[in-house]
Amino acid sequence: MSILSMCQWLQDTNIGTSIRESIWVFPIIETTHVLALSISVGLVLVSDLRLMGFIMKRRPASEVYEQIKPWMFIGFAIMVITGIFLFWCQAVKAYNSIFFKTKVVLLVVAAINAIAFERGIYRKVDKWDNALVPPMEARVAGWASLILWAAIITCGRTMAYTF
Amino acid sequence: MSAVIPFFQWCDNTMVSQAIRDSRVAFPVIENFHLFALTVLLGSLVVLVLRQFGLIYRTQPISEVASALRPWNRWSLAVMLTSGILLFLSEAMKCYGNMSFRIKMLFLFLALLFQFTIYNRTVAARTVASDDKSAPVGGKIAAAIALCLWFGVGLAGRAIGFLG
Repeated sequence: MSILSMCQWLQDTNIGTSIRESIWVFPIIETTHVLALSISVGLVLVSDLRLMGFIMKRRPASEVYEQIKPWMFIGFAIMVITGIFLFWCQAVKAYNSIFFKTKVVLLVVAAINAIAFERGIYRKVDKWDNALVPPMEARVAGWASLILWAAIITCGRTMAYTF
Repeated sequence: MSAVIPFFQWCDNTMVSQAIRDSRVAFPVIENFHLFALTVLLGSLVVLVLRQFGLIYRTQPISEVASALRPWNRWSLAVMLTSGILLFLSEAMKCYGNMSFRIKMLFLFLALLFQFTIYNRTVAARTVASDDKSAPVGGKIAAAIALCLWFGVGLAGRAIGFLG
C-alpha cells in the first residue's frame, strides 16, 4: 500500500469525510490551529529571545524557559491535535503539497534542535544562567528555533494555496 | 452603511490594490507576514496575561515583564496594521459585504481603545501588590478583557475567509 493510497484511505474514513463536509467543524479546528500559534510559537519566541540575549536579560535563562515550558506544551498539544484532524480530512491534498512535505521536515528539524539544546548546552545552564548574553551554542539554538518556526508557519499557511 | 461604499470602491481601485491582485504571490506573502505578527502580538499578550494571573514569572514585577515585551508588542502591531491594510486594499469590496470583516473592525477598534486607555496603565502600574504576586482583581479583569478582545480580532479575521 503506497503512502498516497493510505492518505486516500485516511481521508475517506468517516471522521475524515465528516470533518471535510461539515460547515462548522473544519473552520473551528482550523481557527483553533491558527490562534493557538500564539500559545505555542508565541511562547517559544519569548524563551528563544532570552537565549539570543535580547529580552529579560537580568533574569536567569532557566527561569524564563522553565516557567513558560508547561504553557508551551499546552500550546503544542493543541497544535498537534488540531493539526492531526486537519491532515486527516485532507490527507491527499497535503500529500501532494510541497509545502506540507517541507513543513513536516522542518518540524522534525525543530524537534531535533530543541532536543539537542536540552541535551547539550542546557545541561550546563548553571554556568551561564545569569549571563546577559548566553553562550554561542544557546544563541544558535534560539536563532534556529525562531527561523524554523517562521518557516513552518509559512509552509502551513501557504499549503492552502495552489500556485 | 451605503454612504461608505465610494470609499471602499476607491480603496479597491488604488494602484497598490491592483498590483497585489495582479501578482500571484503578493497576497500570500503579505498574509504570511500578517500571521507572523499575529503570533508575536497574541503570544506576547498571552505571556503578560499569564504573569498578571500570577501563573508565570512571579519573581518579576508585572511592569518589568510588560516593558520587556513592549517593543515586540509595538512592532508586531505595526506589521499587523500595515499588512492588514494591504490585504484590505486588495479586496476592499469583498470586505465591504463581509459581516466578519465588520465584526473584526469593531473588535479591533475596541481592542486598541482598551489597550491604550486602560490596559497599558494596569500593566505599567508599579505597586507593591503587583510585585512578586498576581495582579489585583482590577488588573486581572483588564487582562481577561484585553485577551478576549484581541483573540476576538483574530477569530473574526479568520472568519472573513470562511463565513463571508
